Amino acid sequence: MIRTVPAIRLTDVTKRYGDETALSGLDLEVKQGEIYGFLGPNGAGKSTTINLLLDFVRPTSGEVRVFDFDAQSEGLAIRERTGILPEGFSLYDRLSGRKHIEFAIESKGVSDDPDALLERVGIPDAAEKKVGGYSKGMTQRLALAAAIAGEPDLLILDEPSTGLDPAGAREMREIIRQERDRGATIFFSSHILEQVDAVCDRVGILRDGELVAEDSVSGLREATADETTLIVELDRLPKNATEQVAALDGVSKVTTQGSTATVSCRDDVKTRVLRAFEDSGATVENFEAEESSLEDLFISYTTGASA
Amino acid sequence: MSAIAVAKKDFQDAVRSRGLIALTVIFVLFTVGGAYVGTQVAGVFGDEAGDTLDLVYALQSPASFLVPIIALLIGYGAVAGERERGSLKFLLGLPHTRWDVVFGKIVGRSAVVTVSILVGFAAGFVAIFAFTGSVSPAEYVVFTLLTVLLGFVYVCIGVGLSSMTRSTTRAAVGAFGLLGLLWLLWGFIGNLLLYLDTGSAFLFESPAPDWYLAFISLPPGPAYGSAIGAVLGESGFTAVSFYEQQGLIEGGLPVVAEPWFGFVILALWAMIPLLIGLLRFDRVDL
Repeated sequence: MIRTVPAIRLTDVTKRYGDETALSGLDLEVKQGEIYGFLGPNGAGKSTTINLLLDFVRPTSGEVRVFDFDAQSEGLAIRERTGILPEGFSLYDRLSGRKHIEFAIESKGVSDDPDALLERVGIPDAAEKKVGGYSKGMTQRLALAAAIAGEPDLLILDEPSTGLDPAGAREMREIIRQERDRGATIFFSSHILEQVDAVCDRVGILRDGELVAEDSVSGLREATADETTLIVELDRLPKNATEQVAALDGVSKVTTQGSTATVSCRDDVKTRVLRAFEDSGATVENFEAEESSLEDLFISYTTGASA
Repeated sequence: MSAIAVAKKDFQDAVRSRGLIALTVIFVLFTVGGAYVGTQVAGVFGDEAGDTLDLVYALQSPASFLVPIIALLIGYGAVAGERERGSLKFLLGLPHTRWDVVFGKIVGRSAVVTVSILVGFAAGFVAIFAFTGSVSPAEYVVFTLLTVLLGFVYVCIGVGLSSMTRSTTRAAVGAFGLLGLLWLLWGFIGNLLLYLDTGSAFLFESPAPDWYLAFISLPPGPAYGSAIGAVLGESGFTAVSFYEQQGLIEGGLPVVAEPWFGFVILALWAMIPLLIGLLRFDRVDL
């Protein structure tokens, strides 16, 4: 695999289901060898993006390429190089865990040892057990074992820690790191920041089908370092107040709930924000400022009314 | 290769279903019952050499009734069921094309139906041997193979329908709606058209119109009968051959009603729903 070819590249991808737009004009590039965390709340379009990569669904417009293969016309070549842990999947209740792994190994045309794989994901004792009797976490581990069989160049993991307890989620991250160190590219989605935070080289935040932020985790931290979250309690919320505040230089985000506004802004514009609220006709009854954490940034990007 | 891996997995999965065991038991009961009736009939005619042929006559009806039901029950959930449950995401996450999945399903489910038929007919074989002490294996084997072919055709229909929808309910309605059409409505429509054409809803007078003979030869059941007749070189497996014996047909059969054409009809029944299902499944968002 030529290292300069991006592992994943989406160019101006739009996906509509009927009237509903799941993705609009998404551009996304994941380099080979990195762990890319794909963050966003449920319904933001993460699974749609992953389904496009796997050719489970087809784009309304735009281009989806994995290792420079077209997702639609060369889907098989992609899946020959990719291990997949889908979201909302099920397995075959009547077959044992080992049968599943044997099937994955045979399908990929590789010669891994099923028991070693089951050992690696922590369910060696469940090999002979029928999957119908597995817990959600065991099912998740089994699917991960199937995904990493044959050392794929790319791992696509959709909400990989679903059903796992904290220890299980940590083991999952450990495996993700080992796979990256072996040379694989990891693309994984989550709606939980701390999972991405702990393991990712780069993070993209998706909201309502659009990429609203993309940076390294440290970059995002820096961006938020001198950011302040200002919680302003007003007697009432006049019309246009939100717009006026959002238009201020140095304000990145305004969300409102009732007559309380939450403003993400640079430290030095706090007073201007408060004045803007007063200018709009409201009375500031109380306010509170706190340093932004990555969590706040994520929440401000992904929840509430947009500015 | 990929389709074979899918087929193998699918066979291992489907053959473990309890429903299949129940269906096979019913099938065994029918073949043993049919074998008993068949040998009784042979006894009445005192026709020792015809034993196996009589058995074939006796088994054709239960087989052409039960095999479609078994095959459709085994087939209708093949693709739609995996889509509904979400295991298709696991299956297609592995390097298989959608065509691999459908063909793998056809092979796997056909193998399952074949096992069911072989078990049923083996029981029938043992039964007739017990009842009469003699069997002609060649004819019996031919009959068994053609019944497996009928099972295969209905698996293709079932899997084809299953590929067209994401709902097993819809696939089931489609599959058993089709059986209703073929078993109940088809004959009725034929009689209606015959009435409009000749003024009588039933064939009493010669000559039978060619179109009518062709029309009643078209469903898979009569095609299966035609194929049995063609291979065994005997008549009496289809309504058309019955009319022929009654002298209601003049100037030869239309080609569609010829015994050998049964194979062509069976092939079309296998291919058309499957092709529609494949083309649809290949295009849709899962």
